[in-house]
Amino acid sequence: MLTEIQEGKTLNPVVKHITQEKINLYAEASGDFNPIHIDESFAAKTPFGGTIAHGMLNLAYVSEMMTSAFGRSWLSGGKLRAKFKEAARPGDTMTINGKIDCVEQKDDVSYANCSFKCCNQKGEAIVAGEAIVKISSGKK
Amino acid sequence: MQGNAVNYEELIPGYEFPPASYELSALLVSKYLQAVDGAGDGFVPPLAITACVIAAMSGSFSLPPGTIAIHASQELEFFKLVPIGATIECHTRVTQKITRGKMSMLILELEIFDQGNEKVQSGKATIALPT
Repeated sequence: MLTEIQEGKTLNPVVKHITQEKINLYAEASGDFNPIHIDESFAAKTPFGGTIAHGMLNLAYVSEMMTSAFGRSWLSGGKLRAKFKEAARPGDTMTINGKIDCVEQKDDVSYANCSFKCCNQKGEAIVAGEAIVKISSGKK
Repeated sequence: MQGNAVNYEELIPGYEFPPASYELSALLVSKYLQAVDGAGDGFVPPLAITACVIAAMSGSFSLPPGTIAIHASQELEFFKLVPIGATIECHTRVTQKITRGKMSMLILELEIFDQGNEKVQSGKATIALPT
């Protein structure tokens, strides 16, 4: 976990390699069997030209980065807004980066406002967004 | 689910899906953690809950022929952790349906509650349907 919550602090990045096997496992775990994710012959005929990872799989990696930085403050008091900009594909290596843009005080409570971006190995942004974590309360 | 699927045309702003319950079993959590290379801590990862709810909800309506559903954006707020084995209930409603040229967008609001009727998480999913 972060020992210092301060503006400009970067979060420890998360790096993940996407494989069709992981996508299939994710489909099995979530129950999302949309053929664009798991059926290679179907996906080949779509504008994507092949299977793509579930957007929520990439978001799970964002949550891993946030959990590593903020622990349970994230898991039970986090808020996020994400846009899925491009598709992640089997073979891609995703790097998830984030930083604390500012720390805000509202009604005796501190919030860390963060931004994050998941990029593939070509540097293309796949997912980007903002996350807010309640980090302390002055109320007893 | 597809047998009782609602037609996409019936999904108009204000439409509420029937409340759906899910048991967050140890097996489900274990599969999820394996899929995301995650480490468990005795609680259900919040994103596992969201993923199951979105997948089930996406499967509860039938798409126009030749259409694929793509997750375009997601907003989420986590309120409390849920222990493994808990049952949650999800309430979903359509807030917007937008058609622009060959692209249709469906915006859904989700609210998830635990067995004590306490809110676990809420969110908004935007599903794009290019034709």
